[in-house]
Amino acid sequence: MSTESESTESENTTSVSTPAGSTSSGGTTSVSTASVSTRKGNLAAWWRERSELGVGVLLFVLGALVLTDALTLDADLAGRGPVGPATVPLVVGCGLLVVAVLLSVDVLRGGRGEAEAGEDVDLTEPADWRTVLLLAGVFLAFAVLIGPVGFPVAGALLFWGAAYALGSRHFHRDPLIAAALSLLTYVVFDKLLGVPLPGGPLMGVI
Amino acid sequence: MDSLNSLIDGFGTALTPMNLLWAAVGVLLGTAIGVLPGIGPAMAVALLLPVTYGLEPTGAFIMFAGIYYGAMFGGSTTSILLNTPGESAAVVAAIEGNPMAKTGRGAQALAAAAVGHFAGGMIGTILLVVLAPTVAALAVDIGAPDYLALMVLAFIAVTSVLGSSRIRGLASLLVGLTIGLVGLDQMTGQQRLTFGSLQLADGVDVVIVAVGLFAIGEALWVAAHLRRTAGEAIPVGRPWLGGEDVKRTWKSWLRGPLIGFPFGAIPAGGAEIPTFLSYVTEKRLSKHKEQFGKGAIEGVAGPESAASASAAGTLVSMLTLGLPTTAVAAVMLAAFQQYGIQPGPLLFEREPDLVWGLIASLFVGMVLLLALNLPLAPVWAKLLRIPRPYLYAGILFFAAVGAYAVGGEALDLVILLVIGLIGLGMRRYGLPVLPAVIGVILGPAAEQQLRRALQISDGSVTGLVNTPFSITVYAVVVLLLTWPLLRKVVVRRRNVSA
Amino acid sequence: MRLRTPFALLGAALLVLVGPPLLSPGSGSDTGTRIPGLRFMVPNTPGGGYDITARTAAKNAEEADLTGDIEVFNLPGAGGTVGLTRLVGERGNGRLAMSMGLGVVGAVHTNETPRTLADTTPIARLTEEQDIVVVGKDSPYKTIDELLTAWKGNPGKLPVGGGSSPGGPDHLAPMLMAQAAGIAPKDVNYVPFDGGGELLASILGDKVAFGVSGVGEYLDQIKAGELRLLAVTGPKRVPGLDAPTLREAGLDTEFTNWRGIVAPPGLSDAEREKLVTLVTELHDSPQWRESLKTHGWNDAFLPGEEFGTFLAEQDRRVGSVLKELGL
Repeated sequence: MSTESESTESENTTSVSTPAGSTSSGGTTSVSTASVSTRKGNLAAWWRERSELGVGVLLFVLGALVLTDALTLDADLAGRGPVGPATVPLVVGCGLLVVAVLLSVDVLRGGRGEAEAGEDVDLTEPADWRTVLLLAGVFLAFAVLIGPVGFPVAGALLFWGAAYALGSRHFHRDPLIAAALSLLTYVVFDKLLGVPLPGGPLMGVI
Repeated sequence: MDSLNSLIDGFGTALTPMNLLWAAVGVLLGTAIGVLPGIGPAMAVALLLPVTYGLEPTGAFIMFAGIYYGAMFGGSTTSILLNTPGESAAVVAAIEGNPMAKTGRGAQALAAAAVGHFAGGMIGTILLVVLAPTVAALAVDIGAPDYLALMVLAFIAVTSVLGSSRIRGLASLLVGLTIGLVGLDQMTGQQRLTFGSLQLADGVDVVIVAVGLFAIGEALWVAAHLRRTAGEAIPVGRPWLGGEDVKRTWKSWLRGPLIGFPFGAIPAGGAEIPTFLSYVTEKRLSKHKEQFGKGAIEGVAGPESAASASAAGTLVSMLTLGLPTTAVAAVMLAAFQQYGIQPGPLLFEREPDLVWGLIASLFVGMVLLLALNLPLAPVWAKLLRIPRPYLYAGILFFAAVGAYAVGGEALDLVILLVIGLIGLGMRRYGLPVLPAVIGVILGPAAEQQLRRALQISDGSVTGLVNTPFSITVYAVVVLLLTWPLLRKVVVRRRNVSA
Repeated sequence: MRLRTPFALLGAALLVLVGPPLLSPGSGSDTGTRIPGLRFMVPNTPGGGYDITARTAAKNAEEADLTGDIEVFNLPGAGGTVGLTRLVGERGNGRLAMSMGLGVVGAVHTNETPRTLADTTPIARLTEEQDIVVVGKDSPYKTIDELLTAWKGNPGKLPVGGGSSPGGPDHLAPMLMAQAAGIAPKDVNYVPFDGGGELLASILGDKVAFGVSGVGEYLDQIKAGELRLLAVTGPKRVPGLDAPTLREAGLDTEFTNWRGIVAPPGLSDAEREKLVTLVTELHDSPQWRESLKTHGWNDAFLPGEEFGTFLAEQDRRVGSVLKELGL
């Protein structure tokens, strides 16, 4: 893991003079080949094939939620005409239910949503959900920590944690970069612009 | 002719060395603050307001104009480079601009945006000089039914961004509309989908949705599939716009203001809807439709030009009617009042030097902005050459700062993460992201105008079509709907055989 | 390489922990009216009414050298109740104050928040402003009497525009007028707009039959003849404006919008006294007098306990109107 990222790192910093493949505006990037090969990859895994039904279920649940919420509104409040506070939610809710059913039918008939391709996206490899969970966890930790430990500490942890999750292993460098970035942001926002950010537990102590 | 003379006098005011300096300082400060996460033009102008306290009014407003345009351009810069729009007018710039940046055409995207701002601002300001009294008189005649008609037109336009799978595009649009429902109902003040949380009562900010779906969703999706083996740095490419680029974009730069300016001038127009309409128009008219969504330069040039022209349009109603139609205009109005100046019908008579100096400085500011940012575009674009872990960690960091800085609420961060996870799921299952963002923008606006129109007509449905303007727009809608129907039959036959 | 890691970690930790407090200037002495580290919360967005009041007050207090830097920050949401909830949560914090006004009183009712203004420590009422009843220059209604006659005849066909959502000042004023005119508030066709700008456009374009707004908002449009002023809602005529009060027009009601300052609950007597003194001295400063003039605000200073009594009375009044509307 660490050696792999080390090599990624060095390649990143060394390969400077890569000729730009798509400078002339007429040139199209070759993304379509990647998605074709994903489809083949997906075909192998039977379950993954049908996991899109989950999207249908989620849409259905969302629709039901919107409808329930709309029906609890007090409809005859000071409004005029045929459109009250509940009308649009009812339309959206019903739309969600219909789309949920149509999408599920489409999936069962073999229709598939194409996973989005991109420059940094390698769709030939199976998804690395561990990294995603790690990132989401780091982000959530930031949300929880920003109050008690202040922005500079929480922000540094967010940047370092995210860089770590994404494969950076420069322990002698990353924490310092994270701390400097976080402190600089704090100074710019809190001191120069007057947008308040919490300073941390030592504020007022020192 | 009269206004021309006044404008020449105005240039006399704006081009004094001191005022030129204030304009330059304003442009620089505005750009620098505008690139910061979570700080859109309105916030930037509000934050920099105290800087102008020490100046006399003319100098202060000249600096103000610089800050405004600078902040708008700064917002587009982060939108293009990092996929994190700082305000709703810059959302569309991310759609084509960011893919361009990722493929090494960041400098071109930024240059297209800079020239777009320049062109839009110039044309918009010329229209402001020539048309201000006429437009202002027409603007107040636009009422709720007319807005509703425009929204219907916009919804028809949405179909062109639904993507290859209509059903998935529709699902995305509905998710966006659902997010748009969250908050207090504007007419009756009842809570919808807030689950009793006061923080949700004002709804979910479009910027939070866009940053969540674009930046966080993208970062998580990349994390799931990070190319760990062939980690090539993003190529820098040529630093300037090529001849081919200019050939593709000059029409877009000129078309943008035609859409942006009128929307800016009407009271509830704003910049989101014209940028989005400009995007759709460019997509329709482009000879390179297949590039849209993957980095089509027209998709940056047109909307940016429209956004800038819409800002000029905003000034029409602000200066002639004292009518603030956007958050920035509201802050500027407050600034005028700080100096004891009341924008409105009497402003041109009472303070001609100030007004024409301000208008002249808009032209000056635009030139400064272009001169400053064109050379900087390649420099900015190099930002993307930092290693991937740092790049994506930085995007997460700045998205988080932006979300938190606005309200200081940890809950906003959680909402941002949830929307980011939705964005991740949408990428995984091929639901296009754009319709969701458009749903968040259009849904609440359309509902508000519909219900306001009905309220004004005391519940009568005829109140929706009782103006010549709305009838004209609906006629256009019907034309648009029937015209492609014939073509669609042919296309569908082709699709079935494929 | 290995050895450097602990140093890097230590350096980073020091940077983020010790940096911020070291960068903050010394907060100054705690004597007289000085409240080091005082923060001023604005429960709506930059550019709004409470925002301008708070920033002007903070600036004037600093200029008059009453206290050190006052940090003004915005916490908008739900008509000010998000800010109110935070304020009440900061129990015992003597270094926080919030600008607020009648709009927050209404929002507490419409949002049915558990935290109300009765939970706060009232500091002072600062300013007040009458509302005005205006129509476009092409409107068929030349006088308030003509308007009232038409309104009583068919309230549904005469939409009233206001710049605030239901429960806000521009909503309450026409409702009180309706009550006094014998129109059931439920029959009033109130159309909310996003602030004074959008409202102005719809009055100018005759989209609504009449509009209700703050007196300072449209002075120029009235002077230029674009808008016709029919009445002011306060107890007395406004100097320089040729319009009767509602009472003169035969409506037994009056309405005045106001703005003030409240602090968190649970303050010690000394802390409360200090804030009240600071605001009182601010009120007496020449800088504040000057600001009142430039902004066209009416002085309505009412400190401490009296402001608390006033708040309770306003709360009852607003509550009874909104109850009748079922909000």
